[in-house]
Amino acid sequence: MKAVWPVVLLGLSAAHFALADSGEAQDGLTWLRKMAGASNQTNYSGTFVYQHRGLSETSRIVHYANAAGGVFEKLETLDGPAREVIRSNDQVTCYLPSTKTVIIEQRNARLLPALMPERLTGITENYAVKTGPLDRVAGHECQAVTLEPKDNLRYGRHFCVEIRSGLPLRVGTFNEKNEAVESFAFTQLMIGGSFNRDKVKSKYAARSHKWRIDRSALNVSERPADSGWVINNQPAGFKKLMEVRRMVAGRTDSVAQIVLSDGVAAVSVFIESMPKERQGQTLTHQGAVSIYTRPVADHMVTVLGEAPAATVMQIANSLELRTNAAAKQ
Amino acid sequence: MDKISALMDGELDERQARQELARLKQQHELRERWDTYHLISDALRSDALLSANLEHRVSERLAREPTVLAPRRGVVRKITTYALSAAASISAVALVGWVAISISTVSTQPEIARAPTPAVVFPEPAPQMASVPSEGNMNGYLLAHQGFSPSTAIQGVAPYIRSVSVSQPAKNR
Repeated sequence: MKAVWPVVLLGLSAAHFALADSGEAQDGLTWLRKMAGASNQTNYSGTFVYQHRGLSETSRIVHYANAAGGVFEKLETLDGPAREVIRSNDQVTCYLPSTKTVIIEQRNARLLPALMPERLTGITENYAVKTGPLDRVAGHECQAVTLEPKDNLRYGRHFCVEIRSGLPLRVGTFNEKNEAVESFAFTQLMIGGSFNRDKVKSKYAARSHKWRIDRSALNVSERPADSGWVINNQPAGFKKLMEVRRMVAGRTDSVAQIVLSDGVAAVSVFIESMPKERQGQTLTHQGAVSIYTRPVADHMVTVLGEAPAATVMQIANSLELRTNAAAKQ
Repeated sequence: MDKISALMDGELDERQARQELARLKQQHELRERWDTYHLISDALRSDALLSANLEHRVSERLAREPTVLAPRRGVVRKITTYALSAAASISAVALVGWVAISISTVSTQPEIARAPTPAVVFPEPAPQMASVPSEGNMNGYLLAHQGFSPSTAIQGVAPYIRSVSVSQPAKNR
């Protein structure tokens, strides 16, 4: 009898540790779930700072969500040239007064697969979910949650989630060297407030009629299509969400778009016919978004997403046009 | 101040030289500077790589390649501080140049001699391409992508700032 106790105790403590470990992940997932639902349920307005590779920009944001699932938002930059982005449900309109340009982007919500929070289970396959200490951002108490990538194919995320509403008050993206690639942080935030149409209307709405309006993305909205292209070497953990043929602002012909996601990051593949002026390969970035272009036969391939350059390059470099025989299946 | 280096280089006329020498005798600080300058000059001369006309060549190359020193900032700053405290503006350039050269002779490819090349030129095969900030010509695609990213589901309209960010030249927006 005596000899059994240490074994039982050992077993208990092991179970305790295992519970504590998965408990933390569960706790983190609960916070992520809360955060994912927050922007559909909460009205807020505030000022946030966007930082990326040494640059920083301050913007005002107003966000309304109603019970019917409608979302109305306005983003207004406060530094540099004035710019506004208005989102009404699935239509996004960018006002660029410095060039007197309006760009309209339409998203077909019916095609949109549920990204979060339904896909949260997939997250733990690719990221270790950890909760940190309580913190404070813009005067609001928040819970730190970290998504640590399990490989080099994706970036990590730091969130600070507001305790009551679940709004992300701070979102940081970091690379494999633990360096910040991009961050969003509120400096002032008011949670709540009732819907006011004027606050989510562009101040350029009336004036912009005479501006150059690029509504090409509206002309043909996305429709599901088999592009005929396959990604032979899909990065681990990324799954194809959808494949469409659509119009894109700034392009005259329709393009194929394939979207992949690992539950947190998304990567889009765009395939267009080669422009008259043949272009070579380029690698650029915009904040945490890596952008790689590459000619493939008589097509131009652009792969971009919130992922390391190597990941978008792997996708682009393994893209192939299926042979007709294979396509018939 | 630079009269001391001019004196060392024999560039002063007889009257100016005599004045400068008199000042040297009186002022301890100036004598220290004189010693420092000689130290620097000795250091330069003791290196077999360095030939006459070095200052000229170094300044010429530095003018052609102003960014070369940036990656070595740590090393260079330490030495420039020392040299500048000696107020030897010309010698400081020479000394910095000397440091840069002695570093570059170690590496197989002397950085200092490389012609200035814009960062956007990529090597043909691209296993290790360097990423440069986007110039805004991808905004249409960024916009088309953003709606499908989980970051939009989490953060709402905020990530759209990427599609209109000011890091892009105005002409492309």
